[in-house]
Amino acid sequence: MVLDRASATKASPTGRFAAFSFVDRITKIEGVTRVSGLYTIPPTVSLFPVSLVAEAIGQLAAWVAMSSVKFTHRPVAALAGDTRMHRMPKPGDMLELIVEIESCDADSIQYKGCALVDGQLVLELQDTLGSMLDIHAFDAPAALAADFEVLKTVGRAPGAFSGVPQPVLHDIPTDRANRLQATLAVPEHAAFFEDHFPSRPVYPATLLLYAQQQLAQRLAEVQARCSVRVCRITNVKVRAFTAPGASLVLSAELATPSEDDAEPILIKVGASADGRTIAGAKMFFAPDSGECA
Amino acid sequence: MAEAVISKEEIMAVFPTVQKTMADALGCDVDDIKLDVSLIEGLDAESIDFLDMVFRLERAFKIKVPRGKIIEDVRGDMSVADFEENGILTEKGLARLREYLSEIDASRFKTPMRVDHIARLYTPETFCKLVIRAQRASQAAG
Repeated sequence: MVLDRASATKASPTGRFAAFSFVDRITKIEGVTRVSGLYTIPPTVSLFPVSLVAEAIGQLAAWVAMSSVKFTHRPVAALAGDTRMHRMPKPGDMLELIVEIESCDADSIQYKGCALVDGQLVLELQDTLGSMLDIHAFDAPAALAADFEVLKTVGRAPGAFSGVPQPVLHDIPTDRANRLQATLAVPEHAAFFEDHFPSRPVYPATLLLYAQQQLAQRLAEVQARCSVRVCRITNVKVRAFTAPGASLVLSAELATPSEDDAEPILIKVGASADGRTIAGAKMFFAPDSGECA
Repeated sequence: MAEAVISKEEIMAVFPTVQKTMADALGCDVDDIKLDVSLIEGLDAESIDFLDMVFRLERAFKIKVPRGKIIEDVRGDMSVADFEENGILTEKGLARLREYLSEIDASRFKTPMRVDHIARLYTPETFCKLVIRAQRASQAAG
């Protein structure tokens, strides 16, 4: 089924295939090995966390993965070994997305990818692995197959994403100078839940990562006594789904980078729900401009 | 064809790398990774950790380990019906599992044994043997 752009937009203006979808068009598919796509960050959004660039790369990989198993399974975020941020994207930028799939079957997908703006590297993902789960739990296979056709042909009308709210963190007192803790109240209702996922709303791991980055950045800036930027995130591991309305405890703890690490500041982050660790990562920061005073 | 026995020397040759890889995946000290510790009951490993460990071992040893490889190897040439019934290992299936996971103490094999509980038996030695089998398969394939 081929839809023109107007009817594709009319069919799903806000919820699924719009509120948290970051591929506008798939421009080239080379088997189950390499795929390219485009996504334009709506110029109207005030916030586009860099973790959503990783989401866009992951979603491009997901489309090909789902197609390769005839929409019986879909990948969900599990592991991201090494993510490097080269520059911050801004509203209005068109991301060129490239994914190289190393393996893909009904159990898992392994891939790497990157995003560029005007030929300049924005973000690289390496050693990424998604677990493939029964697609029926998340969305209707026929609807996804139809969306895939749209992406491969006319593409989706850009601009459907209306932004995400800044995560609200409430500090939890800690007596350790090298550690911060905060609660994150996952919203009960949000537009992105309609798209992530239509049959089972799940708090996106990339938004959780963004919230963790906020906490880690505060700790890094206290330690560095200057403005810092996140350069690299490694060892991302998502252990469990987070449902709407969940209350999470986030932690950020200063650690010592190894001799192989180029960045001077390492913060280990974690997230737990009801005492169980549900996600973790290592975040590397460097002074925003040269060296700190 | 019966599999060539995996010697202790072979296991100890790969163990240091397996040990470090597992410690990285589980976020624990290398010293916590004993050869015979239960990964789930002793080190709180979850299914995502097994995925992570296999992913890391593949890169560390430059091998390919298909997902579900251990269960697939245990079953070998047995039919699914001979191996399990409604998710419970048959007597023959359990005997095959004991043979395959010969490094595991006999007292840890419960009866009835659910297929989805087999991973509870895994130890670092199980993964050392997985690596060695993958290396052998790779060499055999040329």
